[in-house]
Amino acid sequence: MAALPSGGPSGAPSPALEVVDVSKSYGTVRALQGVRFSVGAGEIVGLLGPNGAGKSTTMKAILGLLRPDAGSIRLFGAEVGTNPVATKRQIGYVPESPSLYEFLTGTEYLDFIADMYGLDRATRRERIGQFLTGLELAGHEDALISGYSQGMRQKVALIAALAHRPRLLILDEPLNGLDPRSARVTKDLLRNLASRDGVAILFSTHVLEIAQAICDRVVILDHGTVLASGTFESLRARAGLAGSGLEEVFLALTGSGDLGDVVAALER
Amino acid sequence: MDLARVRRLAGVLVASQLRSGRSTSDPRSVFGRPGFLAAVDGALFLLAFGAGLLVVDAVRSPGAPAGGAAALTPVVASVLPFLPLVGVGVVLVAGMMFELTTTAKFSGSDAANWLPLSPTEYVAASTAAVAFTYSPAVALSLGALLPLAVVVGASGSYLLAALLSLIALVEGGLLIEMVRSVTQRAGSIAVGRGGRVTLVVRAVVLLIVILTLQLAFNPVIAYGFLERLRGAALITDSVPFFWGTEALLELQAGAVALAAAFVAAQVAFLALLLELAAQLRVRYWVPTSSEIRLAGVEYGRGHPGLAVLGLSPVEAAVTSKDLRGLVRRREMLPTLVVPFVLIVLLFVEGGTIGVFGAVLWLAWVAGFSALLLSSTAVGQERRALQTLLALPLGPADLYRAKATAVLLPTTLVSAVMGAAVGLLFHLTWPALVGLVALAVTIAVVLSLWGLVFAGRYSDFQDRPRPQFVRPAAMLAATGSGMVILMGIAVPGALALFDTFGVPWLFAGVAVGFGGAVGVAAAHFGRTGFDRLFRELPF
Repeated sequence: MAALPSGGPSGAPSPALEVVDVSKSYGTVRALQGVRFSVGAGEIVGLLGPNGAGKSTTMKAILGLLRPDAGSIRLFGAEVGTNPVATKRQIGYVPESPSLYEFLTGTEYLDFIADMYGLDRATRRERIGQFLTGLELAGHEDALISGYSQGMRQKVALIAALAHRPRLLILDEPLNGLDPRSARVTKDLLRNLASRDGVAILFSTHVLEIAQAICDRVVILDHGTVLASGTFESLRARAGLAGSGLEEVFLALTGSGDLGDVVAALER
Repeated sequence: MDLARVRRLAGVLVASQLRSGRSTSDPRSVFGRPGFLAAVDGALFLLAFGAGLLVVDAVRSPGAPAGGAAALTPVVASVLPFLPLVGVGVVLVAGMMFELTTTAKFSGSDAANWLPLSPTEYVAASTAAVAFTYSPAVALSLGALLPLAVVVGASGSYLLAALLSLIALVEGGLLIEMVRSVTQRAGSIAVGRGGRVTLVVRAVVLLIVILTLQLAFNPVIAYGFLERLRGAALITDSVPFFWGTEALLELQAGAVALAAAFVAAQVAFLALLLELAAQLRVRYWVPTSSEIRLAGVEYGRGHPGLAVLGLSPVEAAVTSKDLRGLVRRREMLPTLVVPFVLIVLLFVEGGTIGVFGAVLWLAWVAGFSALLLSSTAVGQERRALQTLLALPLGPADLYRAKATAVLLPTTLVSAVMGAAVGLLFHLTWPALVGLVALAVTIAVVLSLWGLVFAGRYSDFQDRPRPQFVRPAAMLAATGSGMVILMGIAVPGALALFDTFGVPWLFAGVAVGFGGAVGVAAAHFGRTGFDRLFRELPF
């Protein structure tokens, strides 16, 4: 078996997450085909790709929400599904479009999540309070979530994913709808969690500047397969675009580099 | 008003509803086209027409009772005037259940607010879509009555009844639009801020609106009301929804001018409703987002009441969340209203069905309510199921939590209803206790039975009219549920009233059958929840 594309900065012996040759089909549509990558402890890996590339499917498979047709997924050395409840305790997850219980208040929702992870009262108060303040949600936590803006919902989803100090974070477009300050706070927080606490983070985004800024490595998916993976520098070298930004590299690798004709046609 | 634009938007609204089902999501599917609904109308009309022809043939056959076709005359004469009420009644009774409870995301019609449409055009299109959705009931009744009306020489009355039925159908749709606008406001009753009281007021207001209209336009009650009001013309004259009926009665009496006046008044009333609905829509064009604050909620208080029942903290958290949702979520209100409507009907019509019938009715209310609540227990999670399944809980935890969230309200309500019926019919204390036990047993078994369908056939799609369970599964659950219900209720009632002198035998049959079904349902319900955790069902 070929070595997994890995090599996190920590050089941890066993990666927090290993995705090995995972395939998944929905009827005749092949959503994932032999997807293979890993995330080490303390590493932030960006999962990039065009719409429909298979990023969300990959994340759901990692969480055990979808069962792969082939391949295996290991979390902290154990196969996903071996002890799903214990495994999920170590994960924090922000879905692409967080579906929160709108009939609960922010406090009630976060208390519900804390119940699920068995956090004691003091920890809840301390950690949730810190997050509410840091993400400027304090003062809104007693309002029903149905009245929240998209950004406020995203903040609640982020707090719910972080409050129990997970060892692995699966974040599907976590900065969606966040105001610049909260986005900055979140980015810094993720960096700190990875470097200081050794949290492994799999991070999906369409904003390539963000990926370039905070990810140690990126995995580019297209049509359900891993098109490229590695550090930003290695991808730049592979695309033959020395001195370019991740956007140019991404467009070149996904075969959509020459967009001039498209833009010209749209302007007509 | 641009009628082409109205027709186009109405078509889109109907298609969006039809295509929200899993099997009809393919835009090429004929089941996802508005024409499909028209075909259903046509098929039902023809089916009912065929049934009507069979009735006509039967009364004309040589072996038929004396009177022949003439015997149909009083039947047609009494049913035809009732037709317009069917139109408005069906839309209101069904519409209150399914249209008013949509989430603001759909009823706020933000998808259409930015389009270059006038409020009247939007209201006309939305009303047409609602009326079209519930038109099969009218098609069915018109089809059945056509051959009967022709044979008794009441073709003119029939044509007028058909026209007035369509007008009534649209009037019902307009009323739904108006109530939708008002309740949209009730949904954000305190613009800016509100608290726990607001939440209660909102739920109570919506409950009362739905309950009142459900009862006011319930065919059983409406027909009884009409029968009582025969001769009380002053009262019916003042209620616009009876004008169609009045027109038909006047036509039957030969007062053509008066009939025409009532028809004209009915058409004018339709125009007035359209204008009022448009004005209300202008007023509530954009739903005001409410901020309801529930101060005083603290972290980590736990759920000691639920822990007493043996639930783990994780299970108790899910149960508590579900119980909150039951009283706070607009789309759950029909589930709460159903037992109220049915039990009020029992109190209204109780004198005519006797104590045995009342017990079976109570059993039906207890069982049907439990089935409705339990079969929707998983689907009402909608897309949040993804969040729930990503949390550290297993299938057994979720099953116990959901079962408790269903069993607590259903057994409590069934016990109260059982006691109320027992007191209404002045049962002895032992019989009253037995009745309560029967109602609770039925609620428990049907709750467990509903969870079998909830785990396997839930519908998680965000749709304008939430159904939470796939339609075919809902039909199967209702059909099989009714069989189970009768399998417990009939021997239970026979035991209760000692009909054949062997009460313990019948009690044993009821308990044995109920117990066997309950155990089987618990097993299959539990395995259904296992499947949920194997693969996200959307």
